[in-house]
Amino acid sequence: MKSKINNKLAVREMMKYSFSLGMIILGLIFNLLNIGINEFVGFNSVGSWLIYIGFLGIIIITFKLFINKKRVVDERMIFVANKAMRITFLFLVIFGFIIIVLDGIKSITVPYHLFMSYLICGLMLVYFISYKILLRFY
Amino acid sequence: MKTKIAFYRNKLNITQEELASLVGVTRQTIISLEQGKYNPSLELANKITKVLKRKNIEQVFIL
Repeated sequence: MKSKINNKLAVREMMKYSFSLGMIILGLIFNLLNIGINEFVGFNSVGSWLIYIGFLGIIIITFKLFINKKRVVDERMIFVANKAMRITFLFLVIFGFIIIVLDGIKSITVPYHLFMSYLICGLMLVYFISYKILLRFY
Repeated sequence: MKTKIAFYRNKLNITQEELASLVGVTRQTIISLEQGKYNPSLELANKITKVLKRKNIEQVFIL
């Protein structure tokens, strides 16, 4: 049973590493083929940004491996996480509606990649805050 | 849901931390259960009943 869990963990780590490596390889290919060479989120190309994200991912995964903190995830946490997910989804729907109305009033000129980055960060923040608040109630 | 977890836990001289590790949850979950804030699954309720050496779930969890 224990070896099965360890195997599962090892597979998960391998998947995380391969995802990060994939981003680095994709970034290199983009840079070599001169794809997306416009300024992108503070980087000179999409490839450079992908390489940066890939390296960042590898550093975080390795750091987490060294810390090796045992985390207990029980049913209450899963229950709260589901509730937080529902709240985040509701937030997304409401936010989407507001954006539709705002875009109708005045066109949104923010670049699409920046808009999506802000949206993803916002969603993660809403999820995190609602999870932390709900944990106190259940 | 009202519970008698704290009562039987004190009877057996088990701390919240010990009970939590025995049933595989966090201490915060045990606190929530004792305060009646969280309704456990049947599996968790069964585990707690066994650890507290009770025969029926109804002895520990009161509907």
